[in-house]
Amino acid sequence: MSKGRAKENRPGLLRASLNPWLVRVEDHPERLAFVLHRVTGVIIIAYLLLHIIVTNTPARAGWEAWDQLMEQFGTNIVNQVGEFIVAGSVLFHGMNGIRLLLAEFFGVCIGRPEKPKPPYIPPTYRACQRQLLYLIFAVWPILWVFAGLLIFGVF
Amino acid sequence: MGASRIQMWQYITAILLIVFLGGHLVERLPWLVGAESYHDTLRSSFVSKQYGSWWSIGLLILAYTALFHGLNGVRGILHEWKPRLGTLWDAIIWAVFIVFALIATYTVAALW
Repeated sequence: MSKGRAKENRPGLLRASLNPWLVRVEDHPERLAFVLHRVTGVIIIAYLLLHIIVTNTPARAGWEAWDQLMEQFGTNIVNQVGEFIVAGSVLFHGMNGIRLLLAEFFGVCIGRPEKPKPPYIPPTYRACQRQLLYLIFAVWPILWVFAGLLIFGVF
Repeated sequence: MGASRIQMWQYITAILLIVFLGGHLVERLPWLVGAESYHDTLRSSFVSKQYGSWWSIGLLILAYTALFHGLNGVRGILHEWKPRLGTLWDAIIWAVFIVFALIATYTVAALW
């Protein structure tokens, strides 16, 4: 045991919840999903606050000011990249949110409790929430690319 | 409000967000709203119609639920970060919620 001040029994906010690159995800994709849910949530709330201010423009300065603003946003690559990141965040957060609602709120896709026996794999990890998570990881990049094609004006 | 009750509201607002945010995002699909591109759907000719219809109430509900859901998530992270400052975090989060809810309400009311 180390001398002096005892260490807190937590790994630190950054490692625990905000940085997906610091997470060990071997055999625990739920852990990666948890961190990505937080990271995308922080991105979305930052965007939401800006969005509420920006969408107030026509109420303050009229629709001409709005059109000028949208013209600037539509031609600025930095804004487009920002929108692309927000789109990916919303897509992951939304799909993983549906999985969490099913598992935590409606109590489905989490398996049944059972007597623990080797190799001690919790029923939750063998339940359909895991398949849903794999499906999310598979569908998410496809939808994100589709959103990117829209945002960058490919179609 | 107890922690478990707030968590219930987090799930309820999540369900509402699926409905209202889903509707809001569908409006950005150009072929569904008769626009030429995604950026065309953001022009005043399209957006002003949404604010001038009953859907503006949906937009207002969307703003309130998204603010509650998002800020409550941030509140949770702040409580984990510095639990001793819980009362301060609650006060800051509620203040931000009220300010931005008022801005959203003003936007919808002015453009109705």
